[in-house]
Amino acid sequence: MENGAATHGEGKDPSGFLSEIIGNPVTVKLNSGVVYKGELQSVDGYMNIALEKAEEYVNGVKRRSYGDAFVRGNNVMYISAE
Amino acid sequence: MASQLLPLELIDKCVGSRIWVIMKGDKEFAGTLVGFDDYVNMVLEDVTEFDYSGDHTKLKKILLNGNNICMLIPGGEGPTAVAAP
Repeated sequence: MENGAATHGEGKDPSGFLSEIIGNPVTVKLNSGVVYKGELQSVDGYMNIALEKAEEYVNGVKRRSYGDAFVRGNNVMYISAE
Repeated sequence: MASQLLPLELIDKCVGSRIWVIMKGDKEFAGTLVGFDDYVNMVLEDVTEFDYSGDHTKLKKILLNGNNICMLIPGGEGPTAVAAP
């Protein structure tokens, strides 16, 4: 048996999911609990994320907006398609 | 010992079924496992996120970072389905 999920089709494994949601509005939650909502411009293998029209939410309350934002991957808990 | 099942093979058998993910710290997720990679980053569908405060949030489809995953329970529906002692 082959190891892991590398053989699954598009949209199934993590890399397939990411290519599927590029350009879409997403929610990114960090380990700290802070949430960023925006348009997913790009992601890489470290889960570094570039967002457009990013909005920052702390405890569910909107704090700031950024035209462009880079989030370093080690802080990311999840990326959710909206 | 031909029948030994490796840990990641067990998770591979869970693809398409419900799974309960317990993170390091007080956070848990329950959802349908769509796929995963060698780092155990996982794609989940129809997800409920359980907060330390007891709140839950519904999410349609997520990519969960494997870095903070502690334990996976196949078939699990999250903490609400398990009776507290």
